[in-house]
Amino acid sequence: MTRHKKKRTELSIRIFQLIIILLGLVIMGRLFQLQILDYETYEPLSRENALRQQNINPARGLIYDRSGQLLVDNKPIYSITITPSAYEPKKTPLLADLLGVSEVEVRQRVREARDYSWYRTSRLFTEIDFKTFSVIQENIWQLPGIGHQVESKRHYPVDSLQASHILGYLREVSKEEYLEQQHYHLGDKTGKTGLEKEYESQLRGEYGTEYVVVNAMGQNLGSYQEGAIDEAPEKGANLHTTLDTELQLLAEDLMEGKRGGLVALNPQTGGILSMVSAPQYDIRRLSGRIDSDYWQKINTDPDNPLFSRASSSRQPPGSTFKPLMGLMGLELGIINQNTTIYNPGYYSRGRRYNDLADPGQYNIGKAIQESSNTFFFWLMDKIVHSYSIDRWNELASSFGLGRSTNVDLPNETTGILPDSTYLNNLLGEGTWGIGDQLSLGVGQGFLAASPLQMATVTAQIGNGGYALRPHLVHSISQSDGTVHYTDSDTTKISWVDSQNIDVIKNGMRRVVTTGSGRYYANLDSVAVAGKTGTAQNPHGEDHGWFVCFAPVDNPRIAVAVLLENSGYGSISAAPVASLLVEKYITGEINRPHVYDYVKDFEPKTEDNPDE
Amino acid sequence: MYTITLKILNPRQRTTPMSNIGEYNWPLTTLWVGLVTIGLVAIYSATQGPVAEFLPAYIQVNFYKQLISFGIALMLIVGLQYVSPRTFREGSYVFYVVGLLLMVLTLIFGREVNGATSWLVLGPLNLQTSELMKIATVLAVANYLTSQRNLSAENLKTALTTVLIILVPTVLVFMQNDSGTAIIFLALIPVVLFWSGLPYGISLFIISPAIIGYLSIIAWYWGLAAAVFLTLLVFILQRRTWLTFTSFATGILLVIGVQVALFQVLQPHQRARIEAFTNPSFDPQGAGWNIIQAKTAIGSGGLYGKGYLEGTQTQLRFLPEQWTDFIFCVIGEEFGFAGAGFVVLLLTGFTIVLLRSAANHKHPFAQLVIVSVAAIYFTHFFINIGSATALIPVIGVPLPFISYGGSALITNTLMLGICLNLDFHKRQFSIYR
Repeated sequence: MTRHKKKRTELSIRIFQLIIILLGLVIMGRLFQLQILDYETYEPLSRENALRQQNINPARGLIYDRSGQLLVDNKPIYSITITPSAYEPKKTPLLADLLGVSEVEVRQRVREARDYSWYRTSRLFTEIDFKTFSVIQENIWQLPGIGHQVESKRHYPVDSLQASHILGYLREVSKEEYLEQQHYHLGDKTGKTGLEKEYESQLRGEYGTEYVVVNAMGQNLGSYQEGAIDEAPEKGANLHTTLDTELQLLAEDLMEGKRGGLVALNPQTGGILSMVSAPQYDIRRLSGRIDSDYWQKINTDPDNPLFSRASSSRQPPGSTFKPLMGLMGLELGIINQNTTIYNPGYYSRGRRYNDLADPGQYNIGKAIQESSNTFFFWLMDKIVHSYSIDRWNELASSFGLGRSTNVDLPNETTGILPDSTYLNNLLGEGTWGIGDQLSLGVGQGFLAASPLQMATVTAQIGNGGYALRPHLVHSISQSDGTVHYTDSDTTKISWVDSQNIDVIKNGMRRVVTTGSGRYYANLDSVAVAGKTGTAQNPHGEDHGWFVCFAPVDNPRIAVAVLLENSGYGSISAAPVASLLVEKYITGEINRPHVYDYVKDFEPKTEDNPDE
Repeated sequence: MYTITLKILNPRQRTTPMSNIGEYNWPLTTLWVGLVTIGLVAIYSATQGPVAEFLPAYIQVNFYKQLISFGIALMLIVGLQYVSPRTFREGSYVFYVVGLLLMVLTLIFGREVNGATSWLVLGPLNLQTSELMKIATVLAVANYLTSQRNLSAENLKTALTTVLIILVPTVLVFMQNDSGTAIIFLALIPVVLFWSGLPYGISLFIISPAIIGYLSIIAWYWGLAAAVFLTLLVFILQRRTWLTFTSFATGILLVIGVQVALFQVLQPHQRARIEAFTNPSFDPQGAGWNIIQAKTAIGSGGLYGKGYLEGTQTQLRFLPEQWTDFIFCVIGEEFGFAGAGFVVLLLTGFTIVLLRSAANHKHPFAQLVIVSVAAIYFTHFFINIGSATALIPVIGVPLPFISYGGSALITNTLMLGICLNLDFHKRQFSIYR
């Protein structure tokens, strides 16, 4: 080896060593940058990586009846959740196998969850049985991105009580609601109808937050710092309703197999004691996981069981409107209790308006008792002649017709209470005449109201003219113990004179003692006052109405019953209402023949002279 | 393991291993033990710590497997000191040919792990043949270069043959789809050529594409700056017009080529993978994920780390391949700058000490073997830690002595054992030179 070579070799090695030291310094510099200079950047990153904020679902508020009987509570259901970002699609066969469903379904649901959010956890399967849930729990380590959750569904402890249109059902929030409101998470349920919807914000409570340690697969490894920074969920508020469970059970029983709606309320407070729409749907089958066959069925049923006839149907009130008509006549000074007109069997005004009541002399009391059309055609004629239809509208409106009753239920109808503007819009200015207005006087024509509105009108006559707000919830108790009362004060309807109202009440009493209500509504136990009605139905059999309150002097209950296509109210709706009154006042039913009659009721169509 | 008989030293010879024990390279051995121990500590954390519950059983046992490999490696390093240093030189071509045959066999019958077909299953033995091939190539190249009459790569034929000896296994490794190891082989070329007398300018010219290419990926103007600077340096060192011109042309072409490749040829996801190291947030769920997690692990370690077995990135399984390619992140996270810096210091020190033993040697064969081995080690170090700290795009190579992997630990130790042997027996070389 030459000297030159040796020198070169040594130099080469020196250069190598130098390069190594330089590159070593580069790495050192990089480490210094990452670990010392950028520590503040990476330290929170690693903490966020390992910590996940989770929501704890609050327990939804309970619903009680007027006596403290629990109507709605919660029952645990078991769910499987997914965090799409951590999920491994190749685990789909295993997951499908453990759940006992097809791979296609799992894939479909995973896709849906992914469409909602890649990072947020959403429910994959809800309401799986406890055994399957346990199997998933045991195998969760094999299933990155899959989690489990115990939630609750609505449970109805009173057997056979439906009250489906009152209580309402919950459905998972739609994508729109989810995107709109920060409050909801995918898979959360929200009230869609009834009290569940109306009081959603009180019932749902507030989410709690817990911080859990997770690994890169999204698996939950337990609480962080033993829950020191967790926040407990706030339980939803409980609703105390005015509902009378016994009465509601009877009402549902009586309405079974019929179509129509009924409302019973407390004339002193407006608290709804019972409310039924028939047919109704099975509220238990809409709680928890949706039974899609059943959902399909009730949505396509021509009888539309999802429709709340009691609060939303619009039918002409027929003769049940006559007591209010009479009251308006008295108050406007057109008649007094002795004003008598002759009924030849029709009312003649351009043409003959038919009257089924016997010909003879009629004052207001007798006109109500016998439901004479002639008297009320005449009275309506006088009102629009001396005043105007708008004055008539104003007075009727103050009793709750043609406008919302402000009941605490969604989708309430306002009904129709025509005024000149309405008729102008509908028929054209100047083209409507006395005929269109006269029929309003007997509750026909364009007039339309719901059973809820008619119950309210009747209750307000019964209580001597005090305006009510019908309602279901009388108090809300928050989870912290504070109770908030929602009852509103009743106020006297300003134009009503109590002497006049007694005349009307007297007439309504006579309906039951000697008029068309005498067959089924005249109770020995309590003095009932009422009015039958028949709503003309151009599409088929007429609808039967009956409204009543009892006892006459200081009523404790007011009822309105509408039975669709059942013909005369006196034989269809009246027995239903009277059974409710009897049950409510006496606590039992002493007329089994009436009960059996109602249960076996088939609409009859023969002429009834009293109508 | 080998087809040729090992020449065991005659105990009656003048110098036996035991009599000149003082000349044994104790510092290097100590550093080696230190590195393997650090590796074991880190592998324990990565596979036996709280993270174990998320790892399949066959990964959890990696720590114990590594412990056994350490035992075997220890015996190997001792055993190797009894082998005559001549064996390595005389057997080098045989080793090389046998190694190539094994590589071909691997290519045909090999087992695929993580997309690379680099494992050959021989009965109970799982061999990563490319690891063995490194040693065989180093020995063959050293033997070839040092047996040339004028020991110089200035001779074109010699230089080309040298490159060929290295390129043949490189191509095979590429065919096995193990690009990380292929890069290690390629890195040998400039080292051996430079050591054997390639002029500085030309050596610089050979390695310049790597530097220009790297900077071009970050930004084209950095690449251009590097091309200009390196050409200038080549000119100063060599003062040959054609070389300077070629250097500049190559540099410019490379800068343009990288841009064209990035934006025209490569699919967006492929580009993402390359660009991910400069901007990992570009694709946080895909290619960037590993880099983000690795940087987060190291960065969140801070000065002293989160404590042993307490790194959240490690123990909650956020790190990919944390027992092999990303083991450095485990150290960085749990022991912080203090621990990671210490490891870098040890690794650098280890290579420097190894190179010093080459400098102290009188025989060119031994020198070249040791220099080559040191180059292989350091390339591994730099690529592995560079990947983990996002200095360079992620290239999957293990961290020698520290990463889990029995085959790698044993072959790396084999290389070290040979270097120690050559160093230990340096007095004997004069006899047969």
